[in-house]
Amino acid sequence: MLPVAKFKHRAAHVAASASAVILLMAGLAACTSSSSGAGAVSAGSPITVGADLPLSGTFAFFGGYQKWGYERAVSQVNARGGITIDGKKHKVKLVILDDASNTDTAASNVQTLISHDGAIAILGSCTPPMVNSDAVIAERTSVPMVTGCDPIASFEAAGPWKWVWDIFFYDPDLAELPFQTLQAYRSATNKKIAILYSNDPDGDEVGGKLWPKDAKANGYQVVASVSFPDSATDFGAAVEQAKSSGAQIVLVDCDTPQAISIRQQMASDNYTPKVLDMEKGSEPFQFSTALKALASGVMVGGYWSPTLPYPGAAALATAYEKETGNTYSQHIADSYTAAQVLLQAIARAGSTSNTAINKAIGETNGEYVVGRVNFASSPLSHASPLNVVELQWQNGKTVEVWPRDTEQAPLLFPVPSS
Amino acid sequence: MYLPTATATEQALLQGFLLGGLYALTALGLSLVLGVLRIINLAHGEFLILGAFLGYYWLQRTGVDPLLGLVVVAPVVAGVGFVVQRWALSPLVRHGDEPALLTTFSLSIIGQNLFIILFTADSRLINRSYGFRALRIGAVSVPEIYLISFAAALVIFGAVHLLMQHSAFGRQVRASAEDPVAAAVVGVRVRRVHALTFALAAGCAAIGGVLAGIAFSFDATTGTSYLLTGFAVVVLGGLGSVAGTLGGGIVLGVVESVGAAVFGDGYLDFIGLMVFLVILALRPQGIFGWARR
Amino acid sequence: MTNTPAPTTSAVEHGTSSAASRLSRALAAGRARPWLPLLAAGAVVVIVYPFLASTYLLQIGFQILLYVAIGEAWNLIAGYGGMVSLGSAAFIGTGAYTLAELTGHGFPLVAAVVAGGAIAAVFAAAISPAMFRLRGVYFSVATLALAEALLLLISTISTFGGTTGLLLRSAVPSYLGLYWWGLGCAALSTAIVVWLLRSRLSLALRAIRDDQDVAQEMGVHAFRTKLVAFVLASFIMGAAGALQSLNTAYVEPSGSFSLQWTIDIVTVVIIGGMATRVGPWIGAVFTVVLVQVLASYPDIHDAITGVILILVIRFAPRGIWGTAVTTSARIRARGARGE
Repeated sequence: MLPVAKFKHRAAHVAASASAVILLMAGLAACTSSSSGAGAVSAGSPITVGADLPLSGTFAFFGGYQKWGYERAVSQVNARGGITIDGKKHKVKLVILDDASNTDTAASNVQTLISHDGAIAILGSCTPPMVNSDAVIAERTSVPMVTGCDPIASFEAAGPWKWVWDIFFYDPDLAELPFQTLQAYRSATNKKIAILYSNDPDGDEVGGKLWPKDAKANGYQVVASVSFPDSATDFGAAVEQAKSSGAQIVLVDCDTPQAISIRQQMASDNYTPKVLDMEKGSEPFQFSTALKALASGVMVGGYWSPTLPYPGAAALATAYEKETGNTYSQHIADSYTAAQVLLQAIARAGSTSNTAINKAIGETNGEYVVGRVNFASSPLSHASPLNVVELQWQNGKTVEVWPRDTEQAPLLFPVPSS
Repeated sequence: MYLPTATATEQALLQGFLLGGLYALTALGLSLVLGVLRIINLAHGEFLILGAFLGYYWLQRTGVDPLLGLVVVAPVVAGVGFVVQRWALSPLVRHGDEPALLTTFSLSIIGQNLFIILFTADSRLINRSYGFRALRIGAVSVPEIYLISFAAALVIFGAVHLLMQHSAFGRQVRASAEDPVAAAVVGVRVRRVHALTFALAAGCAAIGGVLAGIAFSFDATTGTSYLLTGFAVVVLGGLGSVAGTLGGGIVLGVVESVGAAVFGDGYLDFIGLMVFLVILALRPQGIFGWARR
Repeated sequence: MTNTPAPTTSAVEHGTSSAASRLSRALAAGRARPWLPLLAAGAVVVIVYPFLASTYLLQIGFQILLYVAIGEAWNLIAGYGGMVSLGSAAFIGTGAYTLAELTGHGFPLVAAVVAGGAIAAVFAAAISPAMFRLRGVYFSVATLALAEALLLLISTISTFGGTTGLLLRSAVPSYLGLYWWGLGCAALSTAIVVWLLRSRLSLALRAIRDDQDVAQEMGVHAFRTKLVAFVLASFIMGAAGALQSLNTAYVEPSGSFSLQWTIDIVTVVIIGGMATRVGPWIGAVFTVVLVQVLASYPDIHDAITGVILILVIRFAPRGIWGTAVTTSARIRARGARGE
């Protein structure tokens, strides 16, 4: 090639690269100007609230209910015209991102919600690891966050929090339930307990620490205690250990697939204790769908039921079932409440300032579908504990068996053998 | 650690032995594909779970026992396998090992995603009474489903063995596995054999899946753990060997069961993986011989 | 660059190191590397970017840089070395946990990040003797099992927080700071890869990839070669994992050791172009942008990613960059013939 051609070739290269750089810079500049920052809101424009939810993956089961609860609260506020800020009404825009039950994605989602979507506040995901991921980012960016679906002991352990608030049950209250129930019904057992628990945060807390403590305090004896990872699928040895220990009371804390397997393998092993309490895992209706008659008699702690005497509780469940055609779950209630608390706090603050909203959240004191929510009066920091009740599977439905004054049906004792 | 009683040990041994039959059945398809097509099907677990889901819905829709329903479920899944091999894997034969591996990896991802969309993320259990009952043999009890699975495993393994050793198709399969080029020269339609073998493997996986779905709960993402179990079985039993897979399954079942009795259930999966890695590290002889083309 | 005088033939002939001949060599080099201006432009963009970018774009930029670093590391062992690892998560998670643990004990950031890489590298070295007995798909499966086993182990034992994980209590860098960290990591990764590819080691590595037995017969130390590549790659992955924990300020087994890392990295490199130097950069941008776009379709995000991967493997096995290079070469060849 002639030198002139080479020169032109190289010049063309330089020109191409230079124009590419210029274009990229222009693009960047355009991007930065159009991306909304948090805080500034022009007249009438919607204010954004971000939510990070597990819509797929291991916790997808919870995500669906939470989504409904969050969306309902927001649409009700919008139906009334929105929230008044500095004298003008602004509609609320709810942006939901799926974290696929992955903590890194959750963190990234909250970052995106705040920096890209301009969220002035965050609604949280479900289960301690996911909520922790959300909360850490919200805390670091000084953005107020309200969440349900995070047992308070785990929430406190990850704190102390300045910007994050939790509305859920307090683990010791839940752990005590089977003992209180048995006491109230004066059920006769040999007072021997076998504890089976998965080693996730709630399992460790309830199964590893609280139950042994409660057992001792109430005069029971723990004769077997077995823990397993939340990925375990076969429980033959654990069930055998419980059986051979002679325990008539079996307390379990694990996820749903495991709860199903454990109940099934107990039946295979011809082991039906008089009392079987399966926290967390036996609460969803899939437990009963899978096991059918075998689910009968299994107890589980719940923090909400539409029959409780709270304003709008029954109506919420009815609305859910009518709108979706599915059976309600207690998770619609804490998510609905969390969103309401947040939106009301923004309204009380009357501004998009994070400190004002945060302060207003802390001043929350009212009756919701889950009962009273009051952060200030609670001995727990930034958390408002819900009242817990003992439920039991009877004929394919969960019914409240304790406290007795609000019971829907008496306790079925002992657990019917298959 | 927990020192089990004599009864508990006997029970662990017996249950582990029988469970091993189920493990072997779930690994059979993997072994076939590995032995004949020389690829590792990372989507194997998804064929298993597809079988389980189809078995679940079969029971729900028709009320007929899913084991009888296998007559429909297994061919359907085999058909899916056939199509997958023909369209996604067959064209990659010339490109070496990685593209096929990564394609099956991608198929696995797609499969799990599709399952969530079609069937939701809920856990399922194929509810049959024999999934909850146990037979007492002296002092030990054995879940009926384990016995049924073991029997099924013997039947299926026997059938596959007969197919491979005493049928024209079997001869073609063995020829294609040993030397595809020579086989093609003598007129074996290697591509068709590969597709049919893959289909057979998928069908066997479906059978294993239905049985597993009766014995244990499953959901859209359970395939991965069955894939890893399958590997452990194939590695223990040696490759391409149908009988070896059965033996490998039983060994794994016993090791896991006894290990769980001693160390606790929690470590079942971990033990399985460790056994797998240790065997791979120490005794790869059978593998080497033909991991090299 | 265009003002240099033409070299005198005598200087070139005699090969004296006069300024003229040095310049002429530079010119020749420039001619032989037409991508140099593009590289310079790219470097400028990457350095100026953080000053123009919003917080959101900084976060995106960080993710891209992290994927570049991990992608290059994986490309080194899988693309150039033929060791297709499906266990990247093991090393990334190790780095993340190392940093979380060390900063909890007051270690300064730089030390913690380096330690993250170092521990991952040590882990890689420790398992190499066992892992390298396996070839091809068996190696891949073993790495998959290894990552899974590590996830189970970390979840089960309580030393590192079990399933709750560890929260980073010490101060973490701002998003701007994180971007610089990410850039440093990507630059280091690129430097390592480029250096390695210029060395004799890369020839040995490629020989092993193509046929290990023949390579060994030719005198290549297979184990040593693979070890160096694997350890360096693991170091980079560990350092990147450490940076990710600074980003999330929280480590937890199902996130840090997640299979999603492996899926993402395989996507990055395959789409960008395996065994190419530019591939991981393109793949990283593509993948991060894809994730953002698919964020509106959470329920089919994975399925779409899987389909794209399959299509690329089938129809563009060299990835975007690889296909672009071969296509442009073909065009130039046709053009040269047409001249």
